[in-house]
Amino acid sequence: MAAADLSRDLEPQRGYLLRVARLQLRDEALAEDVVQETLLAALAGSGFSGKSSLRTWLTGILKHKIVDAIRKKQREPTVAAAFGDVESEMDIEDFDAMFNERGGWDPKPAEWGNPQDALNQRQFLDVMDICLEKLPPNTARVFVMREVMELETDEICKELTISANNLWVILYRARMALRVCLEQNWFART
Amino acid sequence: MFRKAVGHIISCKDASRLVSRREEAPLTAWQRLVLRLHLSVCAACTRFEKQIAFLRDAMRQYRQ
Repeated sequence: MAAADLSRDLEPQRGYLLRVARLQLRDEALAEDVVQETLLAALAGSGFSGKSSLRTWLTGILKHKIVDAIRKKQREPTVAAAFGDVESEMDIEDFDAMFNERGGWDPKPAEWGNPQDALNQRQFLDVMDICLEKLPPNTARVFVMREVMELETDEICKELTISANNLWVILYRARMALRVCLEQNWFART
Repeated sequence: MFRKAVGHIISCKDASRLVSRREEAPLTAWQRLVLRLHLSVCAACTRFEKQIAFLRDAMRQYRQ
């Protein structure tokens, strides 16, 4: 792909990259920087073969930039504090409130009909954004690393220095919270 | 009657944790068995399982 074509194709991806970076970093200025670096690296490099989609390729570059940014942040204690306490997000007991004392659902998950239909609707992705933003910061970061950027679990554990068990608990919490949020704000609307 | 009792070896709370964990790592043979038995008698957890699969698809779509 010629450089001029590439730069024209990159612009529409900016919004998506920024959304992912914001969810991971919770810092507007830093997210802008990381996306800028990603786009520059994309223009400078010749890694795009056209075999994967442009977005998948950009997500791969963004992943490295975000991991670098997180590493840098972790070395600055004052900034690290603003990230919040990972420990407090790992308490699984919170979600016991979704079950009765015998471990049964209370309330039960609702019927979602044909959820696949929602995927074609722009507004659904907006609701998804809102639900992701409502997650505690570290929970959102881990979930996006896993489900959007498709990092392997051991990679995530290494980058964030958490155990596999902590990771499972965080992802479980993220899924439980997103499920309830989507149910309340999308599937139960009608 | 027997199937129902066997299905309740684990609670819905435990089943929901196994459904989530399965997204990251293969379950043990025992975990797979008790989860399958539970899902065979529990409509709510079957629904939950489908919703978790949908969530994965939705996040994939989010990237597209």
